[in-house]
Amino acid sequence: MKDPRAEIIETAGKCLYCGFCEALCPTRPLGPHRGYGPRGRVNIAYMLAKGEIVASSHVVESLYSCLLCRACELKCPIALPIAEIIRNARGLIAEPGLNASKSPSINRVQVFARRT
Amino acid sequence: MPPSLPALIGCRYLLDVRSILRILADNIKRTGLPVPGDPGLLTSWSTGLDLPEKGDVILYTGGLYQLLPYIEEFAEYLEKLEGGKAGGLLLKAAGKLRRLASLSKIVVRPSRERLEYSRQVLVSIVELLKSAGVEIAYPRSVDSYSGVLLYDMGLDTVFKEHARKVAEALESVGAKTIVTIDPHTTHVLRKVFPRYVEGFAPTVKSYIEVLAENIDNLQFKQGDAGRVVIHDPCFYARYEDIIDEPRLLLGKAGYTVVEPRRSGRMTYCCGGPIESIAPRLSRRIAETRARELDEAGGEIIATLCPICYSNLRRAYRGLGLERDIQDLSILLYRRLGP
Repeated sequence: MKDPRAEIIETAGKCLYCGFCEALCPTRPLGPHRGYGPRGRVNIAYMLAKGEIVASSHVVESLYSCLLCRACELKCPIALPIAEIIRNARGLIAEPGLNASKSPSINRVQVFARRT
Repeated sequence: MPPSLPALIGCRYLLDVRSILRILADNIKRTGLPVPGDPGLLTSWSTGLDLPEKGDVILYTGGLYQLLPYIEEFAEYLEKLEGGKAGGLLLKAAGKLRRLASLSKIVVRPSRERLEYSRQVLVSIVELLKSAGVEIAYPRSVDSYSGVLLYDMGLDTVFKEHARKVAEALESVGAKTIVTIDPHTTHVLRKVFPRYVEGFAPTVKSYIEVLAENIDNLQFKQGDAGRVVIHDPCFYARYEDIIDEPRLLLGKAGYTVVEPRRSGRMTYCCGGPIESIAPRLSRRIAETRARELDEAGGEIIATLCPICYSNLRRAYRGLGLERDIQDLSILLYRRLGP
């Protein structure tokens, strides 16, 4: 098996940031911010895997509110395995010794401005 | 007036995820089950069914149907902890949430009615397989929880160890085909286990696929059985491409299949996968789907997954609506006969 961190960086790094996925996500319209949608989650996973952010409460909330239902993948123009990226990123949080931290919340503006 | 702090950070939904992960891992290590319960509950449904222990085709339930009544109770307990008005809920619950770490020791007691429904589903599946001419064996000592929740939650180390034990047990009985009964277990055994357990590559089929392959052997009663709205579970429709099979079976059993606005590959999630992590968010998604299924205008709602059944049932109850939700196996079993 590939190293999950490397796999996330490779796949999530391809996200075009188009946002087509968001229209199909059941949690996106109910959540308070874009971290409740696939585009936000993929980019949070990418930054988490790169070590650019820590597993703050906002990161945990974003990744663990995903249903892994794959509705988002139906509209991804580059067929990203979005649910797999998110599940792998959960591994970075759940696995002991890997990035687990109770450090302060990430700056959301920083996350969503970074890749635009 | 400036917005309040909760309004600025948004209404947050999640319980203490790390505590829940610890509870889950702790439960699995202690009993092999994700929620507090006796491992014997996985196999007790088969008492008196006279199923052989050995055979080329074996039934592996993966435990979700049997565990769902317990998971429901556990989720309701967690939801009570989450209770409180939106906005300040996490602050209010913070004191209680600290106690989450000891929750793995609590005892959950589902209602007799829910346990009986799960038993009926399992018995119906066995009877349907027999009627389709499938010689199905059930090695009780091998049946276990598949560990799918560990995988979904990212608990990879615990999952890998659990999967290895499950795979070893399954391989020890030397079956050619493993028949699963729910979409999550089907997916994890078919697509995930081979990546985590070296050399594990048996043929894994959902009972729905097996019935569809043997549809000519199935004898159903004649006549119109009513209009059934079908709710496709995400894991069958989008992960495993099992879409046509339930429709074929319902059609042969005399039901008129009614498609909701979003169905097949475009299906909408029931919200179930996050019911233990974010119960309120899960419920809001379930209510959206429940209304959508309602608008389709059938007499019965058919689910193909215990998680969908449980979450939609709770959603209708929350909406104050009484609807006839039935597992596919129950609907098919009712129609067996000349």
